[in-house]
Amino acid sequence: MTGLIADIQRASLHDGNGIRTTVFFKGCPLSCKWCHNPECIGTAPEELFYPDKCIGCGMCKDGCYSGARVICGQEMTAEDVLSEVKLDITYYTGGGGVTFSGGEPLMQQEFLREAIDLCKKAGIGCAVETSLLYFDEDIFKTLDFVMADLKIWNSGLHREYVGVSNEIIKENFKRLNTLGIPIIARTPVISEIDQGIPEISAFLKTLDNVIKYELLPYHPLGISKAQALGRDMTRFTTPRKETMEELNKYAFIR
Amino acid sequence: MLSYADRLRAMRETKIRHTFEKKKQNGYTDLDDFGTVPVTAEYDVEPWYNSSNGSFYGYDGMSENFCRVIDAHEPYVDPMEMLCGRWRDMLINYRGDIHFMPDWLKEKKKNTEFLESITDQWAKSWDEQRFPYDELKPLQEKYNIQTGIDSDAHFACDYKIGFELGFGGFLDKIEKYRKINPDKAAFYDAEEKVVRAIIRFVDRHIDEIKRLIPGETRPEIKANLEDMLATCEAVRLGAPKTFKEACQWTAFFNCASRIYTRDGAGFQLDGLLLPYYENDVKNGILDDETAKFLIANLLLIDPHYYQISGVDENDCDMISHLSYLILDAADSINIACNLTVRVHENCDREFLKKAVYYLLKNKNGWPRFCNDKALAEGYMRTGADKKTARERIAVGCNWMAIPGKEFPMNDVVKINIAKVLDESLKDMKNEENKSTERLFRIYNEHLRKAVEVTAAGINLHLDHQWEVTPELVMNLMMHNTLERGEDISQCAELYTVGVDGAGLAVVADSFGALETRVENEKILNWEQVYKALDNNFENERVRLILNSAPKYCQGGTVSDEWAKKLTDSWVSAIRAQEMPAGRQLIPGWFSWARTIEYGSKVGATPNGRRAGEPISHGANPNPHFRGDGAPTAQSNGIASVQCGWGNTAPLQIEFDPCVTIENGGVEIIEKFILAHFAQGGTLININVLDGDTLARANENPELYPDLVVRVTGFTAYFATLSPQFRQLVVDRFLHGV
Repeated sequence: MTGLIADIQRASLHDGNGIRTTVFFKGCPLSCKWCHNPECIGTAPEELFYPDKCIGCGMCKDGCYSGARVICGQEMTAEDVLSEVKLDITYYTGGGGVTFSGGEPLMQQEFLREAIDLCKKAGIGCAVETSLLYFDEDIFKTLDFVMADLKIWNSGLHREYVGVSNEIIKENFKRLNTLGIPIIARTPVISEIDQGIPEISAFLKTLDNVIKYELLPYHPLGISKAQALGRDMTRFTTPRKETMEELNKYAFIR
Repeated sequence: MLSYADRLRAMRETKIRHTFEKKKQNGYTDLDDFGTVPVTAEYDVEPWYNSSNGSFYGYDGMSENFCRVIDAHEPYVDPMEMLCGRWRDMLINYRGDIHFMPDWLKEKKKNTEFLESITDQWAKSWDEQRFPYDELKPLQEKYNIQTGIDSDAHFACDYKIGFELGFGGFLDKIEKYRKINPDKAAFYDAEEKVVRAIIRFVDRHIDEIKRLIPGETRPEIKANLEDMLATCEAVRLGAPKTFKEACQWTAFFNCASRIYTRDGAGFQLDGLLLPYYENDVKNGILDDETAKFLIANLLLIDPHYYQISGVDENDCDMISHLSYLILDAADSINIACNLTVRVHENCDREFLKKAVYYLLKNKNGWPRFCNDKALAEGYMRTGADKKTARERIAVGCNWMAIPGKEFPMNDVVKINIAKVLDESLKDMKNEENKSTERLFRIYNEHLRKAVEVTAAGINLHLDHQWEVTPELVMNLMMHNTLERGEDISQCAELYTVGVDGAGLAVVADSFGALETRVENEKILNWEQVYKALDNNFENERVRLILNSAPKYCQGGTVSDEWAKKLTDSWVSAIRAQEMPAGRQLIPGWFSWARTIEYGSKVGATPNGRRAGEPISHGANPNPHFRGDGAPTAQSNGIASVQCGWGNTAPLQIEFDPCVTIENGGVEIIEKFILAHFAQGGTLININVLDGDTLARANENPELYPDLVVRVTGFTAYFATLSPQFRQLVVDRFLHGV
């Protein structure tokens, strides 16, 4: 079996505990208007075009080497993924490991299961970053922790900005909580939207296994990638430092 | 009443002011800060030239001119400090070594004339009239070899000798052995002259303190000056007996040694000072706050390279309370410190965490970290026992030495392997059957010749250094020297001479690109490659095809394999070189800060590097080696190219500014260090920079006078680097190389 992988980033230091390798799956059921990985949304390989890098050689059909035309999405076997993840195995001691992210890794559920099995057998700690639109108890139970977003409290607003309502996500947060797996919850802060962060925080506090709730400031890095994909994307305001400091009272660590 | 914190603040401000005055006087210097203070308007030296080529050499030339330079040094006493002494100028500046020469000296008329007569950068620092090496020059130039001929100072003193004897004891020892070796009068005369000049340097400080005391109105500062006076009088001739005296004695010796040949090799700081610390504490004359202030003061006076922590021959951790105080002291002054923490399996993890904590807190590039296991086990392969290998401590930019015993010439002999590749490509150009395998064979043959001519240069240097640049100051604290009446270059116990290769990533990526694009994928043919190299990549697409091939440090790539193959070939070539008189060569990978200069000598290379562009830095990968610039990938790659004989292939790395103490950065970097060392890494130099600050500082360096970056093995004030070098640091940070 193969999976469609957008990218593998090593030495990821800000996605969970320790030093981690992040495997970005391609394909996502959400369409967040601020998405910072828009190249991970589509379920097929696609080309990103960066005109600034184009040298105008006119030989695109023979392959682009300038970085102007980049294909996102590579078929990989679980063994391929493992061999890349294993490159940094020395650094995973004491909490590090691999994070399967995306996109939505659970959209390629069987491939994800196989990749996790291989990594676990190799002694590598595993985590998944998921939208929680899907739920796979067997997979979740094998993980060191799960990272999931609750982006907007109001379901209508959630549907408007994320493309789906959030009832299933909230429900899956509760279900996940019963499994005893540590949960790291996150909300990207979008100044233009009343996201209901106090309500989200209060909800997450009712879940014993949410060990951390983080608020992440919106950043516009996705826009250039969306443009490279030929798509329009809304530019939101990057929250001010003061705003983040004020909102951080809702964040918590247990 | 001024507290220690107030005084440290004032000392730091003075240091910043000096940095800017020095920049005005010296111009840009892509060098270590060295701890110098600006020269005064009155400062002037009239050198005595004893050679018909207009330079000076040998016992008489070096001792006389040392006296002239150190005697011209005005005393430096800052009442805020507890110790005194600084240096401003060095002897070798008067032999036309323009690499180190500051602008103020270049502008003096007599030097202008002197410089005009120099046809080669190094021409007058070596006495070519008596010891010519014209027959070596064609190949030295061909392979862009930094020859080591007339290198100096790159070994380490055994400070125990100085602490036991003091300056007066040096004179007694000279007298004792002068009688035993009457035929070595010239040596002993020179040594005596040098010691007496150092004592005069101390005396001028004593006079200056006496001059300052009556006018000092602040009681605590007046008491400080009186105490400083007593300390200086005690160490003028006597051996240091207290912690403070040991620090002051070190400060005076270091100033003298710097003035002579800019020697920057320190010692095991928490080892040698420990008995003084413990004794003074026991006697109730020293508390921790004062000890910290004294260490901070010593580090301010001169950024010598000191090792802290480590392990003894019985595998016992040597970390003490003083080791912690040294870290605290360095934090309190937070300047360009050259402290190396020696990491080993039994290392106190709390100490390691604290060291990393200060690295993250101050973001000033200190401390750096070396790996006891890889270094000691590697050096033992040369035949050294475990105790000796453990004594080989970090005392230089990228290098180790056994204090008092070894003459390693480390960091002064280098072969630019990118130039070796350049020559190999030229040789293969007209051959019919081109291949990477064939190119590698030619490369190895050129490398063998390069090593051979390098060895010839080293031997020439070792045979005659004593007649050209005897190490008259450092000899005082080396074994066998005064006893035999010989320069250390003649009588060291160990001659494990370091030879570094430079340009590894350029060569590995070049072989990798050729194998990938020409041999495997057949996207290009050899003719196209040679055409592109000859016309310096007029066809940008061809350049990009080559440049986008898998690179060294990506992990598991063809270029990673080439880097390992090149390391094997490098080690074999160096180790196969026969040397006379018990000398042996030790391989390492290090370019020092000369990537720009080395690159300027190399034509376009098959990795897509244009002619004249800088070569890769040390054992580091080329820019854009991975899209994510993963430090782990870089670490793995560099761990895989260690030469394994006790010298280093340093990992020079920049961390994301988001790696902070608050975000668990201490644990992350600690794990990173341990993982690199578990894979055999030898030395890690880390910059944890704030990207925005660095970019702003690059635009307006004057606004960031105290921003320190680790350039290679040494730290430097960012504002004093040349614009070109600043850009290299910025690029390395942005692209993770």
